[in-house]
Amino acid sequence: MQKLEVIITGFGGQGIVLAGRILGQAASLGDHKESTLIQSYGPESRGGACSAQVIISDGTINYPYVRQPDILAAMSQAGFDKFVNDVRPEGFILIDQDMVKVKGLERDYFAVPSTRMAEELGRKMMANIIMIGFITAVTQSTSLEATRQTVSASVPKGTEEMNIKAFNKGYDYGLSLLKARDKKASGQAGALA
Amino acid sequence: MGNDQANKNLKIVLFLCTWGPHAAFQQLQDKDCRIPAQVKMVRIPCSGRVSKALLFKPFEMGADGVVLVGCGSGVCRYGVGSITAEKNVADTRKILDLLGLSRKRLRLGAFSPEEPQALLDFLNGFIEEVGAIGKSPVIRPVKPEKHNDHSLAIKEIIQKHDVYSCQECGKCSSACSLTLAGKQYSPRAIANAIIGGKVDDPQVQKDVWACLTCGICYERCPSAVNFPEFIRDVRAVIKSAQGNGNEAHGGFFGSLSRTMTSPEIKGNHWNWLPEDIKTDSSSKVLFFGGCAPYFDIFFKNHLAPSTLDSVSDSLRLMNFFDIHPRVLDDERCCGHDLLWTGDRENFLKLAKLNVDAINQSGAEEVIISCPEGYRTFVKDYPQAGLDMQFKVTHIHEFLEREISKGSVGFKSLDRKITFQDSCRLSRHMEMAEPARKLLARLSPLSFTEMTDSGAGAICCGNCAWSGCDSFSKALQVKRLRQARETQGDLLVTSCPKCQVHLRCAMKDPFFGKDLEIEMMDLTSVMAKTICWE
Ligand code: SF4
Ligand code: SF4
Ligand code: SF4
Repeated sequence: MQKLEVIITGFGGQGIVLAGRILGQAASLGDHKESTLIQSYGPESRGGACSAQVIISDGTINYPYVRQPDILAAMSQAGFDKFVNDVRPEGFILIDQDMVKVKGLERDYFAVPSTRMAEELGRKMMANIIMIGFITAVTQSTSLEATRQTVSASVPKGTEEMNIKAFNKGYDYGLSLLKARDKKASGQAGALA
Repeated sequence: MGNDQANKNLKIVLFLCTWGPHAAFQQLQDKDCRIPAQVKMVRIPCSGRVSKALLFKPFEMGADGVVLVGCGSGVCRYGVGSITAEKNVADTRKILDLLGLSRKRLRLGAFSPEEPQALLDFLNGFIEEVGAIGKSPVIRPVKPEKHNDHSLAIKEIIQKHDVYSCQECGKCSSACSLTLAGKQYSPRAIANAIIGGKVDDPQVQKDVWACLTCGICYERCPSAVNFPEFIRDVRAVIKSAQGNGNEAHGGFFGSLSRTMTSPEIKGNHWNWLPEDIKTDSSSKVLFFGGCAPYFDIFFKNHLAPSTLDSVSDSLRLMNFFDIHPRVLDDERCCGHDLLWTGDRENFLKLAKLNVDAINQSGAEEVIISCPEGYRTFVKDYPQAGLDMQFKVTHIHEFLEREISKGSVGFKSLDRKITFQDSCRLSRHMEMAEPARKLLARLSPLSFTEMTDSGAGAICCGNCAWSGCDSFSKALQVKRLRQARETQGDLLVTSCPKCQVHLRCAMKDPFFGKDLEIEMMDLTSVMAKTICWE
């Protein structure tokens, strides 16, 4: 049985819980798997620490809390610091590079400037959607089509197009990053032979 | 032999030097030898005087083969004639290969007066060889119809471009590239003379042909009179009455484009493609390369440009992003130059052949690096009513699209750069920005704009290989001085023709090294420095 434990973390107002819900719904309604969502807020719930725990599984989920995340997507320093050491050794660590400094982290991680990209698109609030695109590309936790459709169905009416654009940005960024790693690993970093 | 019958229909043009070989030829005539009837002899003063344009012209007219016969090297009465002839023939043969006509249709010979029989054997041998390739697929292009009264057509053009809305403010005339180069020239006056019914006035016609169609005047005009397009359409009318006569380089490039209007020609447009470049004949993305391969061959001995780099490096950049585009072997000239020199009939033929070929290929996106080609595909093909089942993207847009996805960086470039805008992109298409976004991504020692840049940039001094004169030169000199004033050491360009024309000015012996600056297409600069991060 394939099971994925995901934590998306940040602070209130970033749309962390929405991001978790989109991921879970994409998995269940789109990819026909099981999923659960737990949201938790820190003591100072407005603007304070906030995280969404999502479990995606091929079979029944008996316990909805994340014990050891396979995927950590951190959009705040506090959230990153809190969970980074729990991530499975073969798991993915994803960060918003504008919000998180990894400091002495000695393992591989994936960074995306989602807040800056959202600002460039004209809406800082969409950083979470960019992060979902990025998670989708890098971890393939949910399928592209299901996630894209869930984004479109979950955002306020009239903003679908913008949010899909944001999703695509994050997704493309993720693909580019993977490609860059591949190319460098195979020694073809440039355009000239 | 059945072949004999077929060979009888061949049309062979023989350019024959009047000195040694003509004496041999005369002996054949005197001795009543059978000179093959297919051979039409043109007596010339020296084989070196037959330019590439002249060597090529018979092919445009439907000739099956051309022979240039002169004196052996070392025997040439003028010293360098035979050497020049060798170079011209070698280059023209390469051009015939690209076109898919086969280099074998053009041959160079050298005979002394003592060799009449050898000359005869040579001619017969050539006919055999051409016969083996077969008739030329080129259909002689039709001459435009002669319209005696074109006042109605001119009126329609005036209306179409709403030239009546001209307020006679004169902004165009004070900004015009030619005026600023010192020519007595006024777009306002031309527009008003044509409105006043003076299109047949010889001076007005001269002025109509002199315009560079650079578009600065349109850029400035408060009434938005699109003067360059107006001029283009007027040219199409007066050309059909009087012909042009302003072609640079003996009209070679016009001949070349018109030759490509023959549907049966099966080109070899990509026979030079370097091996490291990957293409895929089933890709949904098609790269349209344009005429740069011809430019580099044509100017090899004179300017030695490397405009082909913009094509190869565009492809390399696409490959960098894992796009292996399809290319069309029988890609033809887009027709830009014919359209802008008044040959609308032949422009339409090329447009249709290109669009049909691309539609049939099933490509969904066409990427173009040549600014003229881009404008022609985006503006003029749809205006001509062609049904294009694909979208068109300029390479700068493509690059921005891919690079903005992230993880791409640029190695530092040890040069001080400046940038030459192309009139077609920066003005006609209002696309000065994409190139600048790309330039901002590079890390050169410095990037300094010239005094005039973007939509107001000074042009390279010539358009559509027509009307090149001392004012073209003056403009080029002015532009190169601006480039040198930036203290830069690399002039980044976006149009292959800018490179050809500006290089032409740099080679002016009167200026020595004063105007020299290295040039490189933006795509080449990017291909050299781009890397995954
Ligand atoms: S298009 Fe250029 S050359 Fe022609 S009139 Fe306008 S500014 Fe002058
Ligand atoms: S700038 Fe426009 S309005 Fe002014 S004289 Fe020229 S064409 Fe006429
Ligand atoms: S500037 Fe030079 S290369 Fe360009 S058309 Fe004139 S003569 Fe030819």
